[in-house]
Amino acid sequence: MDLLDNLALGFSTALLIQNVVYCFVGVLLGTAVGVLPGIGPTATVAMLLPITFNFEPVTALIMLAGIYYGAQYGGSTTAILINLPGESSAAVTALDGHEMARRGRAGAALAAAAVGSFIAGTVATVVLAVAAPPLARVALQFGPAEYFSLVFLGLIVSISLARGSALKALAMIALGVLLGTVGQDIYTGTPRFTLDQRELFGGIDFVSVAVGMFGVAEILRNLENEHARTAVAGRVRNLWPTREDRRRIIGPILRGTGLGAALGVLPGGGHVLASFTSYAVEKRVSKRREEFGHGAIEGVAGPESANNAAAQTSFIPLLTLGLPAHPVMALMVGAFIVHGITPGPNVITDEPALFWGLIASMWIGNVLLVLLNLPLIGIWVRMLRIPYQVLFPMIILFAAIGTYSLGFNAFDVYAIVFFGLLGYVLIKCGCEPAPLLLGFVLGPLTEENLRRALIISRGDATVFLTRPISAVLLVLAVAALIIAALPAIRRRREVVFTEED
Amino acid sequence: MPTTSTLRMIAAIGVLSLTAACGAGGSASGGYPEQNITIVVPFSAGGPTDTVTRMIAEPMAAKLGAKIVVQNVEGAGGTVGADEVANANPDGYTVLMHHIGMSTAPALYANLGFKPLESFEMIGLVTEVPMTIVARKDFEPKTLQELVTYVKANAAKVTLANAGVGAASHLCGLLFQTAAGVKLQEVPYKGTGPALTDLVGGQVDFMCDQTTNTSGQITAGEVKAYAVTTPERVKSLPNLPTTAEAGLPGLKVSVWHGLYAPKGTPQDVVQKLTEALKTALADQKVIDQMAKLGTEPVKAEDATPQAHRAKLEEQLGIWSKVIADAGVKAS
Amino acid sequence: MKRSRSFPDVLAGGIFVLIGGAFAAGSLGYELGTPLRMGPGAFPLLVGLIVAALGLAIVIKGLVAGELIEFGPIPWRAVAAITAALVFFGLTVRGLGFVPASAVTVLLTTLASTRVRPLMAVAVTAGLTAAATVIFVVGLRLRIPLIGPWLGM
Repeated sequence: MDLLDNLALGFSTALLIQNVVYCFVGVLLGTAVGVLPGIGPTATVAMLLPITFNFEPVTALIMLAGIYYGAQYGGSTTAILINLPGESSAAVTALDGHEMARRGRAGAALAAAAVGSFIAGTVATVVLAVAAPPLARVALQFGPAEYFSLVFLGLIVSISLARGSALKALAMIALGVLLGTVGQDIYTGTPRFTLDQRELFGGIDFVSVAVGMFGVAEILRNLENEHARTAVAGRVRNLWPTREDRRRIIGPILRGTGLGAALGVLPGGGHVLASFTSYAVEKRVSKRREEFGHGAIEGVAGPESANNAAAQTSFIPLLTLGLPAHPVMALMVGAFIVHGITPGPNVITDEPALFWGLIASMWIGNVLLVLLNLPLIGIWVRMLRIPYQVLFPMIILFAAIGTYSLGFNAFDVYAIVFFGLLGYVLIKCGCEPAPLLLGFVLGPLTEENLRRALIISRGDATVFLTRPISAVLLVLAVAALIIAALPAIRRRREVVFTEED
Repeated sequence: MPTTSTLRMIAAIGVLSLTAACGAGGSASGGYPEQNITIVVPFSAGGPTDTVTRMIAEPMAAKLGAKIVVQNVEGAGGTVGADEVANANPDGYTVLMHHIGMSTAPALYANLGFKPLESFEMIGLVTEVPMTIVARKDFEPKTLQELVTYVKANAAKVTLANAGVGAASHLCGLLFQTAAGVKLQEVPYKGTGPALTDLVGGQVDFMCDQTTNTSGQITAGEVKAYAVTTPERVKSLPNLPTTAEAGLPGLKVSVWHGLYAPKGTPQDVVQKLTEALKTALADQKVIDQMAKLGTEPVKAEDATPQAHRAKLEEQLGIWSKVIADAGVKAS
Repeated sequence: MKRSRSFPDVLAGGIFVLIGGAFAAGSLGYELGTPLRMGPGAFPLLVGLIVAALGLAIVIKGLVAGELIEFGPIPWRAVAAITAALVFFGLTVRGLGFVPASAVTVLLTTLASTRVRPLMAVAVTAGLTAAATVIFVVGLRLRIPLIGPWLGM
């Protein structure tokens, strides 16, 4: 019963009074900073990281992990309330979450997100405790070829984020991929499409794109016809999910948890795919497909669960192998080093109290998060009563400061304007912004892994088909493309038939 | 225990709200420093350079009697942050921590907003982080000599990973190819983490990386190590030979870090910063923390403007040639 | 949904063709490389052409059987005000400092709405500037001077 002993060690560490307190402080601060528009979870963690440097290693890491979940939950709250996602997973939450808020059901959306995250977090903690090392080994089977195919599948799947035309969604995805190529090419160092501005060498910041395409574009739409505009957000129907809601979210939460936990283990970008893969799955299995994009609670519960599960299992490569899966994990590596712990496969054996304490604290963190946020829902919902004449200048100002503070780069602010105007016009033309955002995030991963796989295989493109995992993923991608195209083809045939009548 | 932790918690929350108020304070004695000092780190928070900076910031602040804020200004291989400090007020309140990249920037980037030797006052060297040559654990060659023979014989199929153009791992890889007299297929990654992940996963053959990142993997046996690239062995990896011992004396490289102030900073201010740096490097806690990263502070005589300038001049000479020979250009 | 010639479809398609084409043309200036070692231009060229092709498809569809979407009015005043506000912030936050740059940004933003009266605009400006200063500068220790060097500080 090693596992029980280990968990006992973990909980005895995590339940030390100072660890619980700092876990709470971390969750609280993370939520507080994460809700600020224009500041995504990565920026939140980077900003708050130095605070943790003064503590004992275990305490510092527990607090940092708390900041991370808090920041993610805070980001989802902003996405739901004011349609301003700070990272790609929140963009998925915004689709139906903000629609629900517009229909006076912000409370239910927030509660679904909180409960979904909690359940997902609990399950993922168990996964982490039981199977972390073997899962990490499996994840290492994924090389560049597999990641290319996985990300390609992800790109195709993101068509389902759109409620309208699949053709336009595909074009938006491709445009996002294209915009993701701006910046220094990592293979040669060549600056691409940077207009000779060194500020653009690092590429366009995701938050600028998200704030522009979602936030600014939405503000412009709202200001189109001010006299006709009704106070949509003001009236709040039942604060809590109804019995019907609760029944509807169980399936999505469980499916999202499983999907997210599995994808999160992959260090090369699996966690990015979690939330919208879940959205795509829910949209496909749902009997009420037409509700998606118009406030379907499944579209909030599933992706939020998947995201939180993935956030948690993305600790697996770090804790078992010392390999960071994404920027936030790289920050955690820094925290390890500052505290004199050499990240690597030996952490489990050398620092069992730290390893198991961190795992146990994740569950405690999820408990604290749900305890903190369920009561807060009432307050968040009340924020919707802020008059729009105050709200929209606030969004603009905070977004400008938030994106600027990331790297003190004025181009990040100008990018908001560019994407705001581009997004506004494209949305008016019936193109939806979410697929573009996903393309923007996945594009660089696609290119990186495509080129890397080809270098390693000496230019042999069949590598994507001869490696079994990669081949399976590509077959799935083709299937997904056909499924996405089918309704359009079928509809066209119906149109043709009706015209013949 | 509970009392200290409660105090710490209050401190943590207080830090968020009170620093602005405290910022105006500072010590009253003898002019500088009268306000917060910012150390700009031109790389991301949590990276090796950031870590080293944060280690020395606290003892330096204690010596100077002012608060030190570490700020990360990322971009274009560290040139954006360096540019910012070069053009900051030369008053000693904005200083730069930079590494080997300072000596490669002129060769890699056109139109730099600064000149390494002319735009800065050197404060002193900080540490020289050794690099290690590591391979996937089932890679055939067992020693550095065998590695050289093997890659020469199999130049067409061996893959050499690095963390991107201008990264320390890239520079070290270039030097390896020069020293071994071979041209290999390089596989760039976006940072060390992903590169090391693929090395551990066996997707690429070998790479060169700082002990900060590799020592954990080496001791756990997840990667095979051939040599360390400094003249002396590393304390945390005592069994690992140096490149000279292993028969490749031409491969000498370390990720050296130095502190810079903008050109025109008054000499007495630079002197105070140098003194603070020396104090920090002699701090036992700093020594211990660096040892865990597989490195150590530079000797006291190297934590000086003179030694720093000499190092920079020497390194600029070496790297401009290696980079030009390899035909690498970032812009 | 009725389908016929659709102006928004043609416009959207046109934008895709334009941007895709521009990136494709731009990437010809970079090395294309070989399949073994793709150059920096290869991927953007491929994706740029895909975007342009999809754009063309949308245009054609828009001319034959487009989606009927109401394009609606464009709030030129809001577009101008918000653009000006954000550009102003980017240009001046360093020079003017946090407080003046934020205040002018908010003031310009409020001009976007026809329903914001002058008194209201001033109140919103003061309130938001104060709130932002407390949150970002005091709380999060953002290293931007409150009053910048252009104003003689």
